[in-house]
Amino acid sequence: MTTTAPVVGFDQVSKSFGEVRAVDGLTLALRPGETVVLLGPNGAGKSTTLDLLLGLKQPDSGTVRVLGTGPREAIVAGRVGAMLQSGGLMDEVTVAELVSLACGLHPRPYRVADVLARAGIAQIADRKVDKLSGGQAQRVRFALATAGDSDLIVLDEPTTGMDVTTRQAFWATMREQADQGRTVLFATHYLEEADAIADRVLVLHRGRLLADGTAAEIKAKAGARRIAFDLTDGFDEGALRALPFLTSLTVSHSGPATGPARTVRIQSTDADATVHAVYGLGLYPRNLEVAGLGLEQAFVALTTAEEAKSA
Amino acid sequence: MNGLIKLELTRALRNRKFLFFSVIYPSVLFLLIAGSADATEKVDGTGLTLPTYMMVSMASFGALTAVLMGNSERIAKERQSGWVRQLRLTTLPGRGYVLAKTASAAVVSLPSIVVVFAVAAAVKDVRLDAWQWCALTGAIWAGSLVFAALGVAIGYLANGDAVRPITMITYFGLSILGGLWMPTTTFPGWLQDIAEWVPTHAYAALGQSIEQSQAPHAEDIVILAVFFALFTGGAAWLYRKDTLKA
Repeated sequence: MTTTAPVVGFDQVSKSFGEVRAVDGLTLALRPGETVVLLGPNGAGKSTTLDLLLGLKQPDSGTVRVLGTGPREAIVAGRVGAMLQSGGLMDEVTVAELVSLACGLHPRPYRVADVLARAGIAQIADRKVDKLSGGQAQRVRFALATAGDSDLIVLDEPTTGMDVTTRQAFWATMREQADQGRTVLFATHYLEEADAIADRVLVLHRGRLLADGTAAEIKAKAGARRIAFDLTDGFDEGALRALPFLTSLTVSHSGPATGPARTVRIQSTDADATVHAVYGLGLYPRNLEVAGLGLEQAFVALTTAEEAKSA
Repeated sequence: MNGLIKLELTRALRNRKFLFFSVIYPSVLFLLIAGSADATEKVDGTGLTLPTYMMVSMASFGALTAVLMGNSERIAKERQSGWVRQLRLTTLPGRGYVLAKTASAAVVSLPSIVVVFAVAAAVKDVRLDAWQWCALTGAIWAGSLVFAALGVAIGYLANGDAVRPITMITYFGLSILGGLWMPTTTFPGWLQDIAEWVPTHAYAALGQSIEQSQAPHAEDIVILAVFFALFTGGAAWLYRKDTLKA
């Protein structure tokens, strides 16, 4: 890395399509060597963000910088390798011919055989591009994105159409790239991938950055510990609602509908403190369970909370 | 960019249907039209025999086929498939894609010209001076760039299913109105007046002037230059519009 500037820098970037604000005042910076995942429901602005980052679209306002230059300059300098969902392939040529073309266009290319092997397509190198399955085409796109030595790799939904084995092999390859000091940014629908691979998670919602942090921080932000317990005696629900660090509370009958027994379910950003306060109320919680939320639940919690706020 | 030109060429040469229509078909049409013609029969007002006249028409037609059909449909298809987008993520300069398409079309158009000449010389005994053969090849080849630009423009103008009919209508319109299939002297007067302004007419007229040992008419060159400016301008405008949208 020759620059100390952020690998990717968005400063107050907005982009609208007609009435729709696809990206709304987005500011973010990616640091060298990070593996970052871009999460968001459909229509959150993920693809537009990547298009702006790659210079395929121009922002209405704000600036996008990539490796200290404009996106287009960074791409022309071969410093960005990218794989788009919408990226088509040239048909009627073989996989090897297409990868050779990508290597030939890169200023610091890898050997074609190495690129093919790394993408796991060496055995289909002689096949025509138009005869590939979805997963194979996806790996060819990956090969095109990694045909040479780039500083930043951008992947939009890279594992769509891949089976589980291929997906695991793919991420192993990707981690290798990250370990060599490259910055990797990817958008995905598979939250478990984000949880397992990313150093940093960006949650995008309606074109704005809803959360930015490690997977653990995102989970915490969403109220990411689940606490559940039963209460057999009467209690004051208002006192429960006032518990510290509580983000949601549901109370349901546990036992006969007429009886006093209740099950309490709580989401808390600090489970230890919340549980401690439950005892502080003089209650005796039974069958106490404390569990972590997956990133998926955290993500749903975050975006639904935001939906509720803007509704 | 050379890599892309090479790959485009490889692909064009692998496509038998395309090769047949751009390289073999014009020669076959030439033989059908000129085959039964008497070698001494002259085309009205030109002083050229029918085979000599039709040789230039068919060479122009072959070059037109190669550059127009090759570019328009492929570009429309590859814009839709996202290949054009993917290329924009490489170091290839923005115009590289269009230039590579045009360059490879130009390479394929050369054999379509030469094959018609060879068939005309061998089968119909068309005889010209060495300088005329060279000038003809050069003029028809260079002139085909006008229609390569048109092919690019159509490729960026039309999408998906629309591109084929638009290309076909343009292609047959230009071929017939320009007098590539039959001399425009056989047309009714009003149609001849229209044909005068069709770029393919000026295109074929370039070659026919060379056959008559004359310098090409200034009028034809101007018509071609205007259409070239129009088509490249249109292609560049549509390209830029598409780039902003993609």
